[in-house]
Amino acid sequence: MSPNTEPSMDFERRARAVLEEDVLRIDGRIRSRLNQARQAAVAEAARRRPALWRSFALMPTAGAVAAALLLTTVLWHRQPQGELPVAEGVHSTVEDLDLLADGEGLELIEGWDGSFYEWAVDQPDVSGETNG
Amino acid sequence: MSEFATLASPYSMPVAPHGDVDLSDSSANARARTLNQFLAGVELKAFKIALAALRHQDDALDAVQDAMLQLARAYADRPAEEWKPLFYRILENRIRDMQRRRTVRARVMAWLPFRGDDEDEEPDPIAQAPSPDPPPVRKLEIEEAMRALEKALAQLPRRQQQVFLLRTLEGLDVAETARAMGCSEGSVKTHYFRALQTLREQLGELYV
Repeated sequence: MSPNTEPSMDFERRARAVLEEDVLRIDGRIRSRLNQARQAAVAEAARRRPALWRSFALMPTAGAVAAALLLTTVLWHRQPQGELPVAEGVHSTVEDLDLLADGEGLELIEGWDGSFYEWAVDQPDVSGETNG
Repeated sequence: MSEFATLASPYSMPVAPHGDVDLSDSSANARARTLNQFLAGVELKAFKIALAALRHQDDALDAVQDAMLQLARAYADRPAEEWKPLFYRILENRIRDMQRRRTVRARVMAWLPFRGDDEDEEPDPIAQAPSPDPPPVRKLEIEEAMRALEKALAQLPRRQQQVFLLRTLEGLDVAETARAMGCSEGSVKTHYFRALQTLREQLGELYV
């Protein structure tokens, strides 16, 4: 120990001794009040359920929260990046609606010409050659 | 229940005023006993520390009582070795709140034409009871040293005062004191060093 710290340590020891002596001389009224306060605090702690029991009681809530978080995470990660493509089913439904809303389309359906469509299907794809 | 239960010391078992305590839960009771022992070990020193900051016995008692209740409510489930810094952290916060409130009250009271006082309070017979006294000469020495220390402590900045008392009287180490004070370890060292310097300058003749 360095000679510089020794007087400091000595001072601390003396100060501690005086403070501890002073603590021992605390009067009965204060001791009684502190005792009552301690008993109230301990009773408060005893009224609380132990941690394990509390954790069981909170399990349904915790489970629900965990499930919600898991679902959110899964949905979040399954969401594709960038522009959302339109689902085929939705697309065709929209096209059907367009057809129904379109007067000409309805006329085409009403005047169903099966032979024309059969012929069109049999035709080779020549669009690239004839266009322009 | 055995007859020993009824003869148990009031210090050894928590007495719950309500009937909702499951006494069969030995874990909870063991916890309560540990808390009781911890609080019994710190309450007198905590009172002295609060008194040094607040300089009013009833305020100091209230602060310690609040700190005890808060510890029991919020941190009784924490490991017992964490209690001491937590308890002193709560106490420190309570002291600061009370000092703020006192400042506001003093400002309000300054505007009132007269102030109420405590003169009509009857003396508490328990308070008048003498505490176990050391021999008269020793008593005088202690009283002189204590008065000087209290006076010097009162002149310290509050943080220095609290750090000094937590380190010297309560025996917390630097890390625990930092947790209790809500500051860095470096700050604790600085406060403690300055407090020691000032106190040694003022009390040198008495303490060296």
